[in-house]
Amino acid sequence: MTLHVVFSLAGTEYALPVDTVLQMETFSGATHVPGVPAYVAGIVTVRGLVVPVIDLRARFGLPPADMTLDTRIVVTESGSRVVALRVDSAREVLQLDLEKHQPAPAVVSERSSGFVRAVHALGPRLLLLVDLQKILGENSHDHEPLARLDDDGSKRRPALPG
Amino acid sequence: MTATADLKEFIAAFLLEAEEHLTVANTQLLAIETSQRGGETNPRAVRETFRSLHTIKGLSAMVGVEPIVAIAHRMETFLRDFDRSGGALPADAIDALLEGVRAIEQRVSALGRGDGAAAPSDELLAMLDSLGLAAARSVPAALPVLDLDPAMLKKLAPFEVDQIFRGIAAGARALCVEFSPSPARANAGLSINSVRERLSTVAEIVRVLPRAVPVNPQAPGGLSFVLIVLTRASDQALLTRVGLDSSALRSIQPELPGLVTPVEASVLPEPDIGLAPDEELFDGQTRRGVVRVDVSRLDDAMEGLSSLIVTRFRLARAVAALAERGVNTREIAEIMADNARQLRDLRAAIVRVRMVPVSELLERVPLLVRGLQRATNRSVRLELEGGSAELDKSVSERLFPVIVHLVRNAVDHAIESPDERVRRGKSEEGLVRITCSARSNTRLELTVTDDGRGIDRAAVARKAGRPSPDDNPGLLDLLCIPGLSTREIATTTSGRGMGMEIVKRTVVDELGGELELHSELGKGTTFTLRVPLTISIVDAFSFECAEQRFVVPVGMVDEIVEVDASRLVQIPANDDGSPPVDILSRRGVAVPMIQLAHVFHMKTEKRANSKAIIVRRAGLPVAFAVDRMLGQQEVVIRPVNDALVRAPGVAGATDLGDGRPTLVLDLVALSASLTGSSKLLGVPR
Repeated sequence: MTLHVVFSLAGTEYALPVDTVLQMETFSGATHVPGVPAYVAGIVTVRGLVVPVIDLRARFGLPPADMTLDTRIVVTESGSRVVALRVDSAREVLQLDLEKHQPAPAVVSERSSGFVRAVHALGPRLLLLVDLQKILGENSHDHEPLARLDDDGSKRRPALPG
Repeated sequence: MTATADLKEFIAAFLLEAEEHLTVANTQLLAIETSQRGGETNPRAVRETFRSLHTIKGLSAMVGVEPIVAIAHRMETFLRDFDRSGGALPADAIDALLEGVRAIEQRVSALGRGDGAAAPSDELLAMLDSLGLAAARSVPAALPVLDLDPAMLKKLAPFEVDQIFRGIAAGARALCVEFSPSPARANAGLSINSVRERLSTVAEIVRVLPRAVPVNPQAPGGLSFVLIVLTRASDQALLTRVGLDSSALRSIQPELPGLVTPVEASVLPEPDIGLAPDEELFDGQTRRGVVRVDVSRLDDAMEGLSSLIVTRFRLARAVAALAERGVNTREIAEIMADNARQLRDLRAAIVRVRMVPVSELLERVPLLVRGLQRATNRSVRLELEGGSAELDKSVSERLFPVIVHLVRNAVDHAIESPDERVRRGKSEEGLVRITCSARSNTRLELTVTDDGRGIDRAAVARKAGRPSPDDNPGLLDLLCIPGLSTREIATTTSGRGMGMEIVKRTVVDELGGELELHSELGKGTTFTLRVPLTISIVDAFSFECAEQRFVVPVGMVDEIVEVDASRLVQIPANDDGSPPVDILSRRGVAVPMIQLAHVFHMKTEKRANSKAIIVRRAGLPVAFAVDRMLGQQEVVIRPVNDALVRAPGVAGATDLGDGRPTLVLDLVALSASLTGSSKLLGVPR
């Protein structure tokens, strides 16, 4: 049995293993960052860290929804990255039996661009297990950092030509 | 350099050094107290305290801060006498001395703010004087007697007599100058004030004593003033300066030949603890091969390095452009790699210079705890574990008020009264423990623990009007609610301090750290803070554009100008999607102006565009039109690292106080990123 955080988007329930979730917080808006992908709602401060927020509706190609009192961000951790997911609501933590995970049917996997990696039937409920790596995207489009104000110069090696 | 600038530098150096010696004085006084509580005397600490106060006095005299000289002199005098007689310092003497140090501290910080130092209160001086008297009585040494009317001699405080003898020992002559005011003299511009003023330019005035005299033509008011002075000037020079005749002057020096030269000053009970005054003044600076530097100078160095880094990126871009055109850049690339490494090393070196030991952050805590114990009638043992960690001066400065608050809360709210503690089976003396350790190369963990009553979740929840939290994180959230009043448990000492929300704001929002709470009812509370060892702080302008707030570092901004829409020249927009460019005329120079809102594709209904921020890229000015400027402040910059939100022109994020991130813009880099698509560089200058 593994603990999972359950959140909902447009009436569908999704789950993430609890060990990938740092915390859940209420959401009152993010600071817009110009020039980023449309599914990135902006940045928020969580525990002193500046964290990007992915609007999961936009990421999943669902119609946008207004903010409500239920709107939450699920702050996830994947490797060294901390990224928050904006969801319609998130209030449950459930024990799920990993044995009962079923691979996502091909049609679901295709329609969801691979964001759903398994489904889990829990009584009458159907939970979709999401693929966090896929949602966050690879840390690939690494463009030249703006080192002027970046304090952590030691870690940065500016890309050199040649 | 102008004289004013010299003086400013001098005052700055004075402040630094005075603060250091004040810290020593506090620490040593507490050490004396601790030793004495254990039944031992601590002559070494007495001497250290003496030396600090002596140096403070000397420094203050050099910059002409008489109020501090007056306080420090009394304390110094007392300590020297006391050291001579030995024994234990009475408890009230330690109190009085700490009080004196505090009074000096207040004046030093007033000077730091650019205010004047207030004259010390009579009570304080009287209190310190009475110490001096007590010690003087215990000194067996027979002082030579000044050649002065006994009635007047009686009016001199012991420290003044001492000051005279020390002056004589140092080679000055002791004189008394008598002045009787009269209408005739007033007409000639001679009043007690003018005499005093003139005299002070050629002599050190020890004391001015008014006295009643029989009415005579010389003193028609029946009043005269006796000014007791020390001087190295000749009688003639002195009298000429003041405008009096020789009848006004009389030596009060005891007829002891041995006293006139400093060489034979051993006739005086000269303390063995003092070095020659001059030597001592510079002692602190030279002893340990340490240089004291104003933080702003380090900031300048860092600023210089920042522009080096920017130049390097420009260079890298230019090299990349060459490589794209098929030029062989291998050799340049190798040089660039060396250069990058050197810049990193230089940066690390500057960062290291800014680091201060964490023990420096904690050295004032014992004094704080001592004061709190008295105010709250608690008995508290303080344990400090500073370790050898170092952190950036600016972090240390921000952290100090947080520690003060947590310690104050611990002593005031958490530790029970001695009676109550005994009833609960605890030791009478409460414990407050502070530990510091570097968790990694980048973070410091600091804990403040008490063994007091713990925080009552239900009580806090009632106050906050919220449901009772069922764990420590929930409790911390409640405590950090802005404006939460726990008045019922707050007292005068803690009630006026900043609330937990400020602690959280500083630790979490400003410093980008973490705050944790572990509290067990009846057992005690621990606050754990994890903060970065360094932060990057810049002075920045904040402004608004398309209803969003941004900041831009002041160092990047060339100028901020008003935009007069009627005087803008519009450049025909091409349809490649690049932002439209206007031309702004600045002192006859055409400056390309871009709407920041366009660059950022921000939609806005109303566009004010009242201001333009001008930056320089490769020597050419570029203006960004924004809606309005909001202000200027120091901001802490957090990196925005995740690939999802890395964007050209975004250098990081900061918190302007609303708990939300505000983007820090690098307008220079932003303008660079635009030149590919627009024709900015083609715009005629």
